[in-house]
Amino acid sequence: MLIFSVFKTLTDQVVTVELKNDLCITGTLKSVDQFLNIRLDKISVVDPERHPHMMAVKNCFIRGSVVRYVQIPATAVDTQLLEDATRREHASTHKR
Amino acid sequence: MADLSAQVQEPFDLVRLSLSERVFVKLKGERSLVGVLHAYDGHMNMIMSDVEETILMVEPEEEANGVVQSVKRNLEMLFVRGDSVILVSPGSR
Amino acid sequence: MSASPPQEAAGGATGTVGTPADFLKGVIGKRVVVRLTSGVDYQGLLSCLDGYMNIALEQTEEYVDGVVVNKYGDAFIRGNNVLYISAMESI
Repeated sequence: MLIFSVFKTLTDQVVTVELKNDLCITGTLKSVDQFLNIRLDKISVVDPERHPHMMAVKNCFIRGSVVRYVQIPATAVDTQLLEDATRREHASTHKR
Repeated sequence: MADLSAQVQEPFDLVRLSLSERVFVKLKGERSLVGVLHAYDGHMNMIMSDVEETILMVEPEEEANGVVQSVKRNLEMLFVRGDSVILVSPGSR
Repeated sequence: MSASPPQEAAGGATGTVGTPADFLKGVIGKRVVVRLTSGVDYQGLLSCLDGYMNIALEQTEEYVDGVVVNKYGDAFIRGNNVLYISAMESI
């Protein structure tokens, strides 16, 4: 749930999603759901020569399970906040 | 580090103690990362900053002597999906 | 006919009494080899594990094809990659 919340705060930011098949898509993050499925707008493919078929596509839906990385603008996240939230979630899910 | 075993009652404790520290992450597909850990969840999804990724590639031409080449790149803030993770080690190595 | 198989007797004879869960409990704090589905082995001191077979190891050595390729002070191994855990000392 924590990571889902983080992605919600990143809507309208420009991100680069790297898929497990090495395809890299840059675009504006329009929405995300609990499975970390992602909708991107105004997309461009980082290496269009390797993936020419993607040139015509303007927006896309990416199934969460095929994502390897998402590159995020560093300015868009408060790392201290992330660490505190992670410790809180750890404390609640790992009861003691 | 001496009394670490006392603090680690379950595997995720090890990861929690690495928050805001540099960690080494081994991923599927002959990839590894070194970067600062800021967030993770029970799937081992992670958010890291100041990341150096290393990809090991076997040269396609001379397959006989299996030359291994590594490619590196830097990423300032990165979400890593947990299902690619094999191993996480505190302290970059 | 409803009697359960004589597990304890059979186990007692070989000195390997118990269920898989008993093994996992007994192996904590022992030196182990963890083999991943990829074939890579991790040898180290097992500090703890959970129900997903996520594992925390200390003094870990990574073996590929029988040779040490890496050492880690501590290592978290994500459970889905685990093929087996083998105890290197009696439990």
